[in-house]
Amino acid sequence: MLARFSYDDRSAALLVLPVMAVLLVVAAFPILYSFWVSLHDIVLTRPLRRPFVGLENYWRMLGDARFHTAVLRTTVYTVVTVGVTTVLAVGVALLLNENFRGNKLLNTLLLLPWATPSIVNGLMWKWIYDPTYGLLNAVLLKLGLIEHYRAWLGDPDLTLLLISNAAIWKQMPLAALLLIVTMKAIPDDLYRAAKVDGATVVQRFVHVTLPALRPGLMLVLVYETMISIRHFDLFLIMTQGGPGDASYTLSWLIYVETFRSLRFGTGAALSYLLAMLTFLLSWLFIRAFGERNG
Amino acid sequence: MAAITCQGLTKRYGGVTAVQALDLAIAEGEFMVLLGPSGCGKTTTLNMIAGLEEISDGTLLFDTRDVTRLPPHKREVAMVFQSYALYPNKTVAQNIGFPLKLRGVAPAEIARAVAEVAEQLELTALLERRPNQLSGGQRQRVALGRAIVRHPSVFLMDEPLSNLDATLRLSMRSLIKRLHHKLRATFVYVTHDQAEALTLADRIAVMQGGVIQQLDTPEGIYERPANTFVASFLGSPQINLLRQGLPRPGWVPAGREVVIGLRPEDVARPGDGLVTLSGRVELVSPLGSETQLELSVGEATLTLRVPKDWRVAEGETLDVGVDPARLHVFDAATTMRIAP
Amino acid sequence: MQRKLMLGFFSVLFVLYVAGPVLWLLSSSLQQESEITAVPPNWLPPNPGLHNFTAIFTAGDSAEYANRGLSGFLPSGAANLLPSLYNSLQVGLWVAVLNLVFALTAAYAIAVIDFRGRRATLYTVLATRVIPDIALVVPLFLVIRNLGLINSIGALVVTYLAVTLPFTVFILISYFEGIPRDLYRASRIDGCGHWGALRHVYLPLSLPALVAALMFAFLTSWNEFLFALVLTQSAAAQTLPIIIAGFVMDFTTSFSFVNAAGVIAILPPVLLAVLFQRYIVAGLTAGAVKG
Repeated sequence: MLARFSYDDRSAALLVLPVMAVLLVVAAFPILYSFWVSLHDIVLTRPLRRPFVGLENYWRMLGDARFHTAVLRTTVYTVVTVGVTTVLAVGVALLLNENFRGNKLLNTLLLLPWATPSIVNGLMWKWIYDPTYGLLNAVLLKLGLIEHYRAWLGDPDLTLLLISNAAIWKQMPLAALLLIVTMKAIPDDLYRAAKVDGATVVQRFVHVTLPALRPGLMLVLVYETMISIRHFDLFLIMTQGGPGDASYTLSWLIYVETFRSLRFGTGAALSYLLAMLTFLLSWLFIRAFGERNG
Repeated sequence: MAAITCQGLTKRYGGVTAVQALDLAIAEGEFMVLLGPSGCGKTTTLNMIAGLEEISDGTLLFDTRDVTRLPPHKREVAMVFQSYALYPNKTVAQNIGFPLKLRGVAPAEIARAVAEVAEQLELTALLERRPNQLSGGQRQRVALGRAIVRHPSVFLMDEPLSNLDATLRLSMRSLIKRLHHKLRATFVYVTHDQAEALTLADRIAVMQGGVIQQLDTPEGIYERPANTFVASFLGSPQINLLRQGLPRPGWVPAGREVVIGLRPEDVARPGDGLVTLSGRVELVSPLGSETQLELSVGEATLTLRVPKDWRVAEGETLDVGVDPARLHVFDAATTMRIAP
Repeated sequence: MQRKLMLGFFSVLFVLYVAGPVLWLLSSSLQQESEITAVPPNWLPPNPGLHNFTAIFTAGDSAEYANRGLSGFLPSGAANLLPSLYNSLQVGLWVAVLNLVFALTAAYAIAVIDFRGRRATLYTVLATRVIPDIALVVPLFLVIRNLGLINSIGALVVTYLAVTLPFTVFILISYFEGIPRDLYRASRIDGCGHWGALRHVYLPLSLPALVAALMFAFLTSWNEFLFALVLTQSAAAQTLPIIIAGFVMDFTTSFSFVNAAGVIAILPPVLLAVLFQRYIVAGLTAGAVKG
């Protein structure tokens, strides 16, 4: 029986076994189990009765006002975060791709936000936004942009954007790194040819850099979207969904539903909805941006 | 054990067949060259013999032992690569001694064997260097050393000289030939270079499209090419292959569509028993020892190689004699050789 | 000249944006509670000192607690900070080391061996990478609770392995594909099996990628919050981010201590990132150009 498998097959099976075992137990199985859970009415405070309810958890959540709010908040947060991160990253990549003294130092600094744990990121910005002792108030007052201190995170119109700002600060470096790599792969001859043809700096950016940046941009968009849409840490540490429901996102709803209300069935259903949304969005991005680069 | 027998050896990648039912019997101690253009299946064949490519179909025997499914490290063959493939993190001595180390040979014995091989290949002074401190020729000698240190009975060589410059290639060629005489092992040598094939081989297998076109001694391949592909692949400059313009030997049946081949060097001054061709010299290229010229005969243009003392000039008219017995005749439809 | 001015201007802007927030945190962590609550704020510490750090690190020592004469309030949770630092270190190291072993073998098989099911394996590894953490956390909590492993270091290690492995495997595959195939062939001819080729060719030649994978696995584990929040309940297994989050969400905690705790958590990953910058950048961007 074993002879039917070649030496290559047998060796490969052994070599991938540990990874596959971990992924099956900790990723694949929970995902399937989660689907089973989402089809049942499981409440942890009532452990013995867990009736099968079919897709009812899904329908209930789809009709729930909190879900609608969460989708709206998540969308705004994701669009702002991904959009600003990408634009900022293009700028940073253009700067760091230039050759100048100190470039190395800037490249090292770029890793600072990336390496910062998201919890520290959250507390750091919360401290900057602090209504009485924060840096933001002090700076804006000094510049004459505000007349008196404000409770920034307490303003429902600003909360989401301020959390987004913290996320952008942390996520921008990786996006910039990916874009720098893509830029470095652009042949110098293209720029020389454009120069000879008399293209201005702006024209060179539009006609040479941007088209060549396409695969990198797609990667950044997909990656940042997947990160943002499921982001949780900052919401817990900075606002806990508040004030009111101003930062009540999908991931926060899942957390509240599951670990505060202990309704695991609806929590799992929500997780599934979020996962599907993530897949759908990345698929759309790849369709929109990737048709020319496989 | 050293004779290699391929029976119906086939390699398929998805829907593409790289080697098609190849039969080849290589005798013990023989120097076999697989010759062909890139993509002809010669390297795939070599890799199947080495065990580096899985065999899709067919049987491979080393003497009488079936090794078709045996992984490469169990086949006990040695191999030299075009890219040298030296381990960059090991010194020359470690590179050469590596196969012995894997076989559990005692360190002292390894050191002795490495020293002996190094002496033979003039590498003694370089033993502590790393591959990136060596020239191309030195690297290939190290690769040879790594192959011969095990005294294997089968040597596989994949275009070992292609990355070297012309001078070095000549000296390495004779080094390989001397090694073959000395080791008396079976050599399978892949190349696209006809000069290497002709000088090194006991027998040559000319491949194209995953199929052996002709298997013969170098003389046989050159003197009696089996088809127009083999005829034009060997010989420099290329053989002249024409449907019209060259004399038809008397034995060729009238009315049969044929292609006539004339090797550039198979011409002489007109004389007895020769057919005289008359034409205008279009181009003269002196090659030193001889002269290459282009002669237009009627509609056709022939490339010819003549002794330099003919002293021909461009634009003049020249008569040359062709021996009908030296002409090659091929069927126009099948491209196969027709013999008298 | 104009170019120089532009570059200078944007460089200053960049440095302010990237380093400013962290410097402000650092500056705050070196001040007394009374100093950081000054309005307008002290940009630089008037009397810089490590008192906040000393207070946090000695919080477990009750005798010390009495005579410290602190100017601010430190929650009782501060006593857990030192153990959680140790937990974080332990989890991070385990995840990094296991990643190395697991990812190395799997990446070798996928990149080098042409085996049945190679594509399926590759897709499985890549697919698990796009599953959102938040979607995993509920079922994972249930599975681990049923196994009775809630609040254990082991549960965290296995979870983080699953989170990091797809990426480290991917880094190593990209790197392995750049190693000349002839070296692999030569090693097989010389007598190596797959294990030998891995040990003698791929392992010694892929040190940069291995460092990148190690760093990535360690940093991810060190920084991870959501799984740790759900899967741990007491100081026995809680990692640093959990304790710090506790500081932040406890309104009574003095800001000076919160900031100091933040600095403690930020230091190791930032130091590692700076020290191994070259490898990390290469690893993070591996395969980005190829797509």
